[in-house]
Amino acid sequence: MTTYAMVIDTLSCIGCGDCVVACKNENKVPAGLNRDWVVEATRGEYPDLETEFRSERCNHCRHATCVTSCPTGASHHWKDTNIVLVTAAKCTGCKACIAACPYDARMLMRPEGYVDKCTFCHHRIDRGLDPACVASCPTHCMYFGILDNRDSIVSRLLRARRYKVLMPETGNQPQVYYLI
Amino acid sequence: MPESKPTLLRFVLQSLGHMFRGPPAYWVWVGFLFALILLGGWHYYLQLRDGLVVTHMTNQVSWGFYIANFTFLVGVAAAAVMLVVPAYIFHRRDIKDVVLMGDTMAIAAVTMAILFVVVDLGRPDRFWHLIPGIGRFNFPQSMLAWDVIVLNGYLLLNVGISFYIVYNHYQNKEPNERRYFPWVLLAIFWAISIHTVTAFLYSANSGRPFWNHALLAPRFIASAFASGPALMAIGLQIIRAISDYPIRQSVINHLALVATIALQVTLFFMLAELFTEFYNEGEHAASARYLYFGLDGHAALTPWIWTAIALLCIAVVILMIHPLRHNPIYMNIAFVLIIVGVWIEKGMGLIVPAFVPTPIGEIYEYTPSLIEVMVSIGIWALGFLLFTLLAKAALPVHCEYLRRQQAREQCNWDGFERRHNAD
Repeated sequence: MTTYAMVIDTLSCIGCGDCVVACKNENKVPAGLNRDWVVEATRGEYPDLETEFRSERCNHCRHATCVTSCPTGASHHWKDTNIVLVTAAKCTGCKACIAACPYDARMLMRPEGYVDKCTFCHHRIDRGLDPACVASCPTHCMYFGILDNRDSIVSRLLRARRYKVLMPETGNQPQVYYLI
Repeated sequence: MPESKPTLLRFVLQSLGHMFRGPPAYWVWVGFLFALILLGGWHYYLQLRDGLVVTHMTNQVSWGFYIANFTFLVGVAAAAVMLVVPAYIFHRRDIKDVVLMGDTMAIAAVTMAILFVVVDLGRPDRFWHLIPGIGRFNFPQSMLAWDVIVLNGYLLLNVGISFYIVYNHYQNKEPNERRYFPWVLLAIFWAISIHTVTAFLYSANSGRPFWNHALLAPRFIASAFASGPALMAIGLQIIRAISDYPIRQSVINHLALVATIALQVTLFFMLAELFTEFYNEGEHAASARYLYFGLDGHAALTPWIWTAIALLCIAVVILMIHPLRHNPIYMNIAFVLIIVGVWIEKGMGLIVPAFVPTPIGEIYEYTPSLIEVMVSIGIWALGFLLFTLLAKAALPVHCEYLRRQQAREQCNWDGFERRHNAD
């Protein structure tokens, strides 16, 4: 399995939301729904406060519980990579994957009734481009690449910096990394 | 009964005939159910037209009232086993006489359960993807795929066994035990499996700590064996009151005893869970805190769950005091309390809190919309109608068979007495 990973530097993220806008434009996400979003987590108590901005989306887990829980195979890994896609025409809208996702990354399209999600912009990856959110980040705090390749920017960053993933305890092996 | 060759066609026609004959009260009841079904059907049409957006389910709370009812009904269907085991394994005559009604209730309950899943689908037109062989079926990985197989399999098993027995009774033959017993044995294990698989559907989600524990499946089975027999006992008493079907009180007492024990176990499991969640309360207890005490000022379910706990506690006290359990009025009050209590506890009290708070910590509360309630009422009415029609068709055949059997046994007994006296 080729592992694509996204690395997001929480120390240089300013929470502008450009990644959200870029995604909506690139993927024509309908109003009221989002494939990615920015979390503003506050730690501590006034006056000792600290804010962390996290641009969140599908974590394209290597062990994706949404893929295993899908009864029809509509949720699947793309071309032997960790990128999780939904074949809209096969999705019955049973929402088992929404219950299975630990990251709230899936949404039911209105009014079509099938489940949709972040695709890591696999149509751009095919053309050798970064996902739209990464390409549009004004502070260059988002990075994208293949983790199996030791010289890729994501591998080098994860070797050099301290990082975390969200909810590793679920066993999903998420592939969106946050530098802290 | 006219002396004609008992063919399959005649059997079906005669059964249909029984369904269409009845006193005015029967027609009022059937008409009432039909009206509710039409009402539910109309609201389901609205949901089909506009999509799931007409429900109050969101991307945050993506399962609601439908799946809550589904969970409860799978339990009721599984509980038919509480008549099947004593009837076929322990050969209790009194229960064997009524076991058919247990199967009929299982058929109605599992049909309702399947319908509740169908109305919850965002794209019901693609349901065929869930049919093995036609669509690509993600088996054995997906728990929902397992659920499709076990629920439909359970439906087929119960329809098959009941049909075989009733048809033999119609032909005035003793059903061949060697023929149906293996299927009965399979149905017993299958009954446990439908509820276990349904529990696994929830407990498999490692991102939802409220469900993700090993006690969920045992708790499901325990509360199913409390609510199912309670519903069955009420149904049997109603049938006894309005027909000449011989249902002995020992059957009702047996079901009451089963419900008592299962309810004790249910409450013990609940206590164990409360202790584990709250003794050292961690982040994973957030959903439980939301359910039982409210979280950040949101407490839509708190009154409901405490009502359920109160009802179940009152019911267990009534059932544990023997004079009360043997008093028909108190016993039936306890049955109703169990049904309502388990319906809350295992329905909305189990499904919704798992989504609150969301994994990113947001709180979206959920109450069903009018359309959801109406569609659900329609499905319940459909289940009641199915049970009514099946029971109406099967009872005359079965009663006739029992009368003949009794007469035959009476003859045998007379013969035995004559021989005995001659010695």
